[in-house]
Amino acid sequence: MSQPLLEIRNLRTYLQSGGRVVRAVDDVSFSIPQGETFCLVGESGSGKSVSALSVIRLLPAGIASHPSGEIQLNGHDLLQCNDQQIRAVRGSQIAMIFQEPMTSLNPVMTIGQQITEALQIHHPDMQDSEARQRALLALEQVQMPGATGRYGDYPHQLSGGQRQRVMIAMALALEPQLLIADEPTTALDVTVQAEILRLMRKLQDDTGMGLLFITHDFGVVAQMAHWVGVMQQGKLLEVGRCAEVLRKPQHPYTQQLLAALPENLAKPAEAKYFTEPSSNPQTPLLQIRNLKVWFPIKKGVLRHTVDHIRAVDDVSLDIPQGQIVALVGESGCGKTTLGRAVLQLVAPTSGSIKLQGQELTGLSARELRPLRPKMQIAFQDPHSSLNPRLLVETTLTEPMKVHGIGKNNDERIELAAQILESVQLEREFLWRYPHEFSGGQRQRIGLARALALNPEFIVCDEITSALDVSVQADILQLLLKIRRQRNLTLLFITHNIGVVEYLSDRTVVMYKGKIVEEGLTAQVCGQPQHPYTQKLLAAVPRLLV
Amino acid sequence: MIRPQVSRESYAARIWRKTLAGVGVKFALAWVALLVFCAVFAPFLANSMPLLMSKGGELSAPVLRYLSVDDVWILAAFFLALALYFIPLGLSRRFVLFLLGTFAAIGLSYSLVKPPALVIYDDFRGSGYSQADWRIMPPIPYAPTDYLRDLVSIGLETPLASEGRLHWMGTEENGADVLSRMIHACRISLSIGLIASGIALLIGVVVGGLMGYFSGLVDMLGMRLVEIFEDIPTLFLLLTFVAFFGRSLYMMMVIIGVTSWSGYARYVRTEFLKLRSQDYVQAAVASGLPLPSILFRHMLPNGVAPLLVAVSFGVAGAILSEATLSFLGLGVVDAPSWGQMLDQAVKSSTFNWWMAVFPGGAIFMTVFSYNLLGEAFRDAIDPKMANKPGAEQ
Repeated sequence: MSQPLLEIRNLRTYLQSGGRVVRAVDDVSFSIPQGETFCLVGESGSGKSVSALSVIRLLPAGIASHPSGEIQLNGHDLLQCNDQQIRAVRGSQIAMIFQEPMTSLNPVMTIGQQITEALQIHHPDMQDSEARQRALLALEQVQMPGATGRYGDYPHQLSGGQRQRVMIAMALALEPQLLIADEPTTALDVTVQAEILRLMRKLQDDTGMGLLFITHDFGVVAQMAHWVGVMQQGKLLEVGRCAEVLRKPQHPYTQQLLAALPENLAKPAEAKYFTEPSSNPQTPLLQIRNLKVWFPIKKGVLRHTVDHIRAVDDVSLDIPQGQIVALVGESGCGKTTLGRAVLQLVAPTSGSIKLQGQELTGLSARELRPLRPKMQIAFQDPHSSLNPRLLVETTLTEPMKVHGIGKNNDERIELAAQILESVQLEREFLWRYPHEFSGGQRQRIGLARALALNPEFIVCDEITSALDVSVQADILQLLLKIRRQRNLTLLFITHNIGVVEYLSDRTVVMYKGKIVEEGLTAQVCGQPQHPYTQKLLAAVPRLLV
Repeated sequence: MIRPQVSRESYAARIWRKTLAGVGVKFALAWVALLVFCAVFAPFLANSMPLLMSKGGELSAPVLRYLSVDDVWILAAFFLALALYFIPLGLSRRFVLFLLGTFAAIGLSYSLVKPPALVIYDDFRGSGYSQADWRIMPPIPYAPTDYLRDLVSIGLETPLASEGRLHWMGTEENGADVLSRMIHACRISLSIGLIASGIALLIGVVVGGLMGYFSGLVDMLGMRLVEIFEDIPTLFLLLTFVAFFGRSLYMMMVIIGVTSWSGYARYVRTEFLKLRSQDYVQAAVASGLPLPSILFRHMLPNGVAPLLVAVSFGVAGAILSEATLSFLGLGVVDAPSWGQMLDQAVKSSTFNWWMAVFPGGAIFMTVFSYNLLGEAFRDAIDPKMANKPGAEQ
């Protein structure tokens, strides 16, 4: 191996937090050869982003310190550079792109201006016309559709994927030798992610730059990496060639992470509940007919309705008792709205929803109340799903009291404790406030709240999307166990195909407010019929391709 | 199952601890506590009559005998608040008990307390009192409206200048002690700030909450109402009312309160609009909880914090309004207030620094303290400022 582009030796980054010192990066060494990709993988808080920010020296000087380490870029130690030198290195030799395409661009400048500004800062004598040429070239390089026309657009006029392309164009305009990408596709839909990943690989082939790629997704690693480093709590546990690490992981933590991926999770011992569509001939638990949820777009002084956003457009769906139905689709396809409309949290525009033959649409809040316990919901964001001011005990027992479950408070508290135990939490957690729990624990409490009323049917809205894979694996196994114990019916809303394959009996694919495909999970995922489903499945980064 | 006695810090306790973390806020609290102390115990701190005296073996307490109706119920409310602080009860229950108790005290004192209608302060320095066996005088032995006529006070004496008498802050033009007037004026400043803001808060929360939760038409009508009330110039309205209905402290409180709720309503509306889409509120709706529980248990406590910040600034604003009005000579006549004292300072022919510096300084310190409290509180509830030890990994 020739001289590596970037070599990091014994890097330590300590962060000051209050009175404590956090060893965010602890004795990390790795190197990136010219033209190759190094993927740093790890769960949240493992120190992978801090490692990347240390390389480009973007950590605030008052908080971060480097007790030891060398960061050699082409033989120069970046840790020894002063501010002026490091500014010259940033952009021209190392560029960085971030996760959030919505906030990384300045909203009041056109994308063309932003790229030319970056160019002219590093090349003060560059003429405007030349900068414009270079910027256009960069936009064409990132395959921006209609690059010339897009030059004068503002960021809000672009989609998320296009903004990420602009970010990459900005990074590439200066022809850096090393590109650092910090979860660049995490906020994007899978089909867009697939395009961006393909683009980054192509650009790497064209320019021969090195790539430090940070992600938590092993599927993305498998597609991008030449080298992989697995991080946990600031330490680099395992480094190696991508294929070797993924096929024959040496470190127990890597093995554990890979085993926690939904596609690697052991399926529960007994066969799935429903193998054939006709196994339940009675009326389905939930029957949705021609459901429409349209949101009006209002304009003008008089706020008259000019058009509608058709979030859910003419959807019909049956959910039989005891099934787990996965609702899949990209962001904005209406899957969350559909879930909330079923629970009457969003008023449907038209159509009918029947729960056990009972019509739900058009009922008043009072008429709905006796039906509420039968259907519950669990949410995606563990931070906003629990009332921060209420004890877990209050959160769980208040709905019970309203619906007359349990004779007195003591009995309800005992019931709540049992429910907590059934989601594998301790009974003492009843007397705690939400901020005392981790994300995974909060999701369990959210599930416990949904279970408190003994429902028949739960809508799970992306409940594992904000979690690390190992926590996600626990929650998925827990869901299957609870389903078995209580004969629950679940509508599981997700964008993660791996989770769908692991968990669900049936899969429903939504696209632009309509259901485009529906069937047994094995069928839909094995032989997709609709072109959109095919595109979606092809875009999913798989671990072993 | 018995609730374990681990003292887990509640959300409110956490916010309170963070609010108190700074140095400035401790100082501000100390100042406000001093004001409260002065306001409650004013008749015992500055009065012309003895606190306790013995004459011919007979003990008497003239101060107690001359306590006015207001003095009595304020004292009662204060001790009720102290007692409630030590009784372990829920916050809302304490608050309700306090309100009920205070109203009962007001009613009782108006019907039971009958102080002598005429008080002649000169008498207390006469032979009937001065020839007692022993007597304990208040720390400042001058009442705020005692013009020291028998002592032939010439008025406008500079601090510590008069012979035979001790006036820490001098005397005003009629000869009354300035410090005594300052102490008694605490009541007006405190009460106008708290009651006017309380009225504004009540209206603001109700209107804003309705707008935020129901949105749509209610929201549109509510916002127009808010805009109308924002356009009313408080000071001119106060002047008009004073011109037509005479001067009254209570009227001032009501007018300041009724014209300043619009900002609170906007705060609550925004918070409710935001909270309505929060997952835990959606979960509460999905659990079929009744509307009052959703509004007052799941939404209001989570949206109230920014409001309290606004209120602490509002209290300062109300105190300033009263001071402005008194300064213009349109304040309350019979009781001293800081603004009125400033007015006196300007009106006399020569500039008397002690007449301006002490009340002006008191107004400044009070407004400053409330602003400090407000800012500390705002920082405490701001999650971006939170340094969370042991946050999620």
